[in-house]
Amino acid sequence: MASSLKSLPRLLPRATRTATPTIASSRTVPLSSILHSTPRIPQVQNKNALNSNTSRTFTSSTLRARAKTMGQLRARNSTGPFSWKAALLFVVTGAGMIVYFQVEKERLARKRVAEMSKGVGRPKVGGPFVLRDLEGREFTAEDLKGKYSFVYFGFTHCPDICPDELDKMAEIIDKVNEATGDPSLFLPVFITCDPVRDTPEVLREYLKEFHPKIVGLTGTYEQVKHVCKMYRVYFSTPRDVKPGEDYLVDHSIYFYLMDPENDFVECIGRQDTPESASKVILEHINDWKREGRPLTGGQQ
Amino acid sequence: MGWFSWSSDSSKASDGGRIAPDRSSRERCWEGRDRFFACLDRNNILDAVKDDKEARRKCGKEIEGFEGACAKAWVKYFKEKRVMEYNRDKTIERIKKEDAERVADLKSQGRAT
Repeated sequence: MASSLKSLPRLLPRATRTATPTIASSRTVPLSSILHSTPRIPQVQNKNALNSNTSRTFTSSTLRARAKTMGQLRARNSTGPFSWKAALLFVVTGAGMIVYFQVEKERLARKRVAEMSKGVGRPKVGGPFVLRDLEGREFTAEDLKGKYSFVYFGFTHCPDICPDELDKMAEIIDKVNEATGDPSLFLPVFITCDPVRDTPEVLREYLKEFHPKIVGLTGTYEQVKHVCKMYRVYFSTPRDVKPGEDYLVDHSIYFYLMDPENDFVECIGRQDTPESASKVILEHINDWKREGRPLTGGQQ
Repeated sequence: MGWFSWSSDSSKASDGGRIAPDRSSRERCWEGRDRFFACLDRNNILDAVKDDKEARRKCGKEIEGFEGACAKAWVKYFKEKRVMEYNRDKTIERIKKEDAERVADLKSQGRAT
């Protein structure tokens, strides 16, 4: 306000020179009275109105406003209620709705997949187990809660499929963590089906080659057999193996995505690429976040 | 005997587990396998378990390299997998062909009526 007051004396002489001699001559009139007598009309408008010597009873602003309305009226009469603006609004709204419904439909489809394992009478994948992590600490199903876990069963003497899948797992881990920005939300787990050969030390050396974030789990023969049963993994490890004897283990080759309540969400299989798999996982994580459900992470 | 010879004694971890082949020895094994299978392809041998004698006669050097680089269980696994994959591809091919024939058949029927 102060600056506009200061500039007023400079503006006024130019604008009012021709039309209002009273103001032009009265430089001694207090500023407040000038302000009072000249409504704050934009400078250009004021100039035009005064130059054309229109009657001072009509202010220029109402004239212009009326002209604008008339123009609009005329335009409206010539084209009816349809204008390009209305058409644009219609198309944009329509497109927005279509996109929204598409997104919602996909989200609900994913939700249905995720909810499937929570229903009553559904075959349940996963459940309580007790194993050992690579530091020899006890690791139970409770430790999987609060974050999305990504469980894979395998064994270190696996000829070709597990190494391929673990390389894929490493890529998925990087992609997911990069997208969420919080590595504690996603817990990759490798459970060995071959506890006799795969001791913590062996597993640590093995998993190090793929990704440092993979949590390796092992246990006794009975414990591993039990967890395989919980996850519906075909378990064929021979029980009594002579030292030095060489054997392979048949096992299922799926990744199991488990939600923060440790319920099974989805399988990721051989046909998935790291891109498609991480997309599926991120969609589930984002759905969970959007529903405002607890996702604690970082409890390790 | 390559990987297999040291695997029997020195590959024990200090906690009693048995160390699995690492990335480089896995790759060595796969290379040996690919060379051996290429030789089998050249000589029109499919099943290296059943036709072991002929495979050894024609691809002696390759099978030695393959068996030297891989554990015994792996050698058996890869040989069986080769046969399995061959049969699988054959089956897929057959189904596709039958499918195409059926489609053509249905189309001609549709035109006739």
